[in-house]
Amino acid sequence: MVTRIIQLLLSPLIALAVGVLFLGLSRKIIARIHRRYGPPLYQPVIDVIRMMSQRSISHGSLFELGVVLALAGSLVTVLFIPLGGTVICRQNPLAHGVLCPLSSSGGLLVVMYLMLFGPLGLALGAGDSANPNASIGVSRKLLLALAYEVPFLLVILAVMSHYRTISITEIVARQQESGWGVLSVPLSAVAAFLILPAMLGIRPFDLVSAPQEIASGPLAEYGGSYLALLAVQKGVHLFVVIALYVDLFLGGGVNLATFLVKMLVVFVAAEMIAAVLPRIRIESAVRFCWKWPTALALLQMAITVLSKSV
Amino acid sequence: MGAGAILTVALAGAGLSYPLGLLSAKVRNVFATAVSALLVCLVAAAYGRSGEHVYYSGFLGLDLILRTDALAWFFAITVSLVGCLSVVFSLRYVRGREKVSFYYFALLLVNAAMLGIVFSGDLLSFFIFWEVMSWAAYLLISYNRGRALYAGLKYIVMSIIGSCAMLVGLLSLYAAHDTLVISELAERIGSRGTGFLLGVLVAFSIGFGIKSAMVPLHTWLPDAHSEAPSPFSAVLSGILIKMGIYGFVLVMYALVGLKLLLGLRGAWVSFNSVLCWLGAIGILIPTFIAVLQTDAKRLLAWSSIGQIGYIILGMGFATSLGLTGALFHTFNHAVFKALLFLAVGAVEYRTGGVRDLNELGGLIKRMPVTFACALVGGLGLIGVPLTSGFVSKWLIYKTLIAEGHPFLALAALVGTWGAILYVYKLLHNMFLGQLPEKYAHLEAAPFTMRLPLVVCGSIIILFGILPGIPLGAVGPIVGSLGLEPVQATLTGFGPQVGPLNMVSIFAAAALAVLAVLLVLRASAAPRRVAQEDSYAAGSPVPAGRYHHTVRFYDPLEGATIGYLRDWADEFYTRVAGGARGGFDGLRRIYTGDVRNYVMYIVCLLAFLIFVQMVWHIW
Repeated sequence: MVTRIIQLLLSPLIALAVGVLFLGLSRKIIARIHRRYGPPLYQPVIDVIRMMSQRSISHGSLFELGVVLALAGSLVTVLFIPLGGTVICRQNPLAHGVLCPLSSSGGLLVVMYLMLFGPLGLALGAGDSANPNASIGVSRKLLLALAYEVPFLLVILAVMSHYRTISITEIVARQQESGWGVLSVPLSAVAAFLILPAMLGIRPFDLVSAPQEIASGPLAEYGGSYLALLAVQKGVHLFVVIALYVDLFLGGGVNLATFLVKMLVVFVAAEMIAAVLPRIRIESAVRFCWKWPTALALLQMAITVLSKSV
Repeated sequence: MGAGAILTVALAGAGLSYPLGLLSAKVRNVFATAVSALLVCLVAAAYGRSGEHVYYSGFLGLDLILRTDALAWFFAITVSLVGCLSVVFSLRYVRGREKVSFYYFALLLVNAAMLGIVFSGDLLSFFIFWEVMSWAAYLLISYNRGRALYAGLKYIVMSIIGSCAMLVGLLSLYAAHDTLVISELAERIGSRGTGFLLGVLVAFSIGFGIKSAMVPLHTWLPDAHSEAPSPFSAVLSGILIKMGIYGFVLVMYALVGLKLLLGLRGAWVSFNSVLCWLGAIGILIPTFIAVLQTDAKRLLAWSSIGQIGYIILGMGFATSLGLTGALFHTFNHAVFKALLFLAVGAVEYRTGGVRDLNELGGLIKRMPVTFACALVGGLGLIGVPLTSGFVSKWLIYKTLIAEGHPFLALAALVGTWGAILYVYKLLHNMFLGQLPEKYAHLEAAPFTMRLPLVVCGSIIILFGILPGIPLGAVGPIVGSLGLEPVQATLTGFGPQVGPLNMVSIFAAAALAVLAVLLVLRASAAPRRVAQEDSYAAGSPVPAGRYHHTVRFYDPLEGATIGYLRDWADEFYTRVAGGARGGFDGLRRIYTGDVRNYVMYIVCLLAFLIFVQMVWHIW
């Protein structure tokens, strides 16, 4: 019981810390590729503390609740994702050091749905801010989500069909026994990596909160503590997406440290690509997501289905 | 109380509401509400009963039978609940309009007929109540006149075609087995060959498919749902189209039975797999058509067709998990779609009939309760965790993955992500954004309109956190249809099914929300300002409102609109046009001139004499 409570608290805290650190790292990487010095790694922490102390404006209850919903939803999602640890006993993975406090409540399907809370909360809050720029941003966000969800769902379904389970801990356990997902479902892994920037909202897919065109889109009216919480939410969301990638394709981690190292590798790889690409338009983003990643994921799913039915 | 008493109350209530309305409007309103509430209580009290009794013997030598069992009860409680909420909502909605007594009479009659359908123990009573429902619904769909007349006509023409198909199935069953009692048919039907069974099932499927708006038989629905009065749209979408689902379950599982049903397969296709693929198509295409709609009720109508796809998909699988999901989703869809139609109805009532999504906005400031309930309904429709829609959709997805059909699962999941788009568009364009000047002093919806919304919203959340309550009623149905009931706990499913525990998800979510709220409380308190304050940044506020609604999902609309034509509707319209031309030509032989008619008679006689002389037939 005590370990469980500690885990329940530990998971979101790790996500918060690592997520915010990754935000700082991302700025540093991009700066170095652009041959700038860049801000210190802990710059986002300073920003969050500063913004928390500033007084913000509010346009209504939903404007505030949207932010709460987005951040709380992202934090809850973390509880369903295994963050490293060797799966020894499948009936009770908690007892053996797998850091996944709610592994026994619904599996991958629940995670996919819980990942909705972030965009949905932000969309509702931004809608209540009554700023047309925010509405345009939300419309782009939801379209982009639909665009990358099609290949992402194909990827998830291929993985679930391959391992014949909807439980993430089970998927991780199977990879630790018989090789990583990147080897057994390679095309899915490539497709998922191609849509990773879209899921993270980084370049070339940062059209949702494009500052120069639509005044940061959904964030247009947010300031002070709300903006701080939304920055934290962005970090946690980043953590969730990359952790999910590591769990599905890179065999999770034998412990928390190796798990975080794997996350770092995936994140840096994605950031390096993002740093050299310009922003694209929403039409092009939709077209891209429905072309190459979808084709690869579809092919992998067909292969998986055929090889399972033979 | 047995099924007989319930039906007596329902039919008597419908019949009496009209004469009472001629006496006093107030008495009629109270009476209609009381009858519909009483029906909910009576049906609820009949929980767990089962039995059959003959209520009329000797009609064409057939026994007419009423039957109560778990399946009938489940649909009956859904019907009476949504029916009651719709009557309460109607109190203000139709006040002061023409022919209100007629409206209540028809509304109660539809509800009574639907109760009759689910309590029928033989297919003849079933058919009679089915027809009563169809015609009473026709009267209500065309209640608004104008375009509603066309919508009603389209509905009733398709309905009649469906009834004819059903009648064919019914008569062939009677010809083969000399009885129409469902329980007797279920025992005897095993002796028949595959061809006969398939024929009967297809005939019934056309009838039920039209009523439940299964693609490609859905084309009456978008017009009928959007043109009907809003409280009746809730009934239409919530429960009337579910009668088709009830029919499917009854004929496929209770009558034909699981064993024979699964035997209906060729080398590549089976009856069930065709149904499943129709369900999947019915999820995908209507969902994306719904995204394009600019009329709030039309958007919801297309969404209904999509959600029916989920139910058909779950039901078609003939596994206990799938059937449980389908039945639970039937109930959930009834509740959240009724809620959404009623919420749109409340907005329509206050704004004087505006349903155009490009002319509203910012109504959250004026109608907060309506918005909150619509939000819960929308989240339920998407199937967000902690709403009941999540559990039923989870069951359906789980079935698809467990049975090894990832492509069907993809259709179901993409349909859900499409649903996010149209739900947000609906909520955003009506309730969020900037409030137009003309609605600045709009009143909140009246109490009798808010009450049904709140009731539906509470049901969605309660059954989302404690899905064991409704699943306890679904279990016996699945058991009675010859499948292993799904082992559900109060909070979700145990490890042998799932595992899924909604209460722990709820607790985690509540704690996370609490933590974030605490952090917010600790930081500097926000200042509430009007939108113009930050928007114009101190400059003069620009005149006019800016609310981004028109072509909200522009790139998607541009990319998909070419593919999203309603092929089925175009085809039927062309057939109808051709038939009209043909019949018009045929009509011309009635010239009204007696000499022509004499000529026809003479020609016919000449023809008959010629036939007799040449071939000597008679």
